[in-house]
Amino acid sequence: MSQFIIRNEERGHDLIKSDGSRSSYIAGHPDGFVTRASSFDFHEYQAGRPGFGPIRVFGDEVFHGAGCGYNMHPHHNFVICAFVFSGELTHINTAGGGMVDRLSAGDYYVFSAGSGGKHSELSVTPEDMHAIYLWLLPEQLYLPPSYHRAHFDFRRRRNEIVQLVGDGDNTLPIPQDLRVSRLIADKGQNFPYALRTLSHGIYVFVREGRINCNGVELGYRDSMGLSDLATVSIDILDDDSDVLLVETILIDETTIKVWESEHAGD
Amino acid sequence: MANETFKRLLCLGCGFSYDEALGLPEHGLAPGTRWKDVPDDWVCPDCGTPKHMFEMIVIGYAPGGADLAVTA
Ligand SMILES: [Zn+2]
Repeated sequence: MSQFIIRNEERGHDLIKSDGSRSSYIAGHPDGFVTRASSFDFHEYQAGRPGFGPIRVFGDEVFHGAGCGYNMHPHHNFVICAFVFSGELTHINTAGGGMVDRLSAGDYYVFSAGSGGKHSELSVTPEDMHAIYLWLLPEQLYLPPSYHRAHFDFRRRRNEIVQLVGDGDNTLPIPQDLRVSRLIADKGQNFPYALRTLSHGIYVFVREGRINCNGVELGYRDSMGLSDLATVSIDILDDDSDVLLVETILIDETTIKVWESEHAGD
Repeated sequence: MANETFKRLLCLGCGFSYDEALGLPEHGLAPGTRWKDVPDDWVCPDCGTPKHMFEMIVIGYAPGGADLAVTA
């Protein structure tokens, strides 16, 4: 078994303002800003671990101020998922002939940029918008772009691991051997998670509450990755704990392995 | 050196890819231009991410994908 732990404060924490040098990137009034906590080494924003399997971004973001977000920008190849927890995300996307989607708490999307797509993401209501973004490398380059969205019923689906993305029933498809699940649960419950194979790993992120994950206590916005093991055991330590679980095939890890060897013993 | 396999690199800012075999003719990089021969001050044509923030990848093209990559 091998594992790594990323505490809340060890993530890359950034505040990106909508005025000045980033005004073409960030939308909004001059007082609008995006806060982003990055688990992995996204762009210039964090100096740590470059990813986990095909995952390159796990960004915990808040859009502050009505009109704040990302202006229209292009993507290729990356598969981008967003899970909305509060506020409202207006998503304008060119995939599939173009559309405008509005997502609120519990809603989530999978956008596979493939051969090319553009999108803009905005919070147009006065309330701050909180979402977690997951970016991953696809199984193949230049796939036809696609967009799918769904809703997680967080009021009813308690005390069970619910798969949201990947192969499975009522889940959103994704062009990678990867599954995203969400667990909202109360104190005293235990949840085993069996990995598909020993070639898969799992990234466990505590959005709210406190858990014990295979002997490691994780609190608010702490996370860990585990690999080379058959089952992960999650004990819930606080009521209303909210946990995201990303199980992934461990490929495309050359860059990550180089980083690990350079930082062995840190 | 001439027999070394062509590499593919991905922009971590936006997912734009550079394929040594294909080059980017529309951006002045002929097919077969090695990554090391791409100027150090070159940036992603789509998002401006600098060259050193591209990652080498080993991922195949979807059917028809290589043709799309040439004109991306
Ligand atoms: Zn780019």
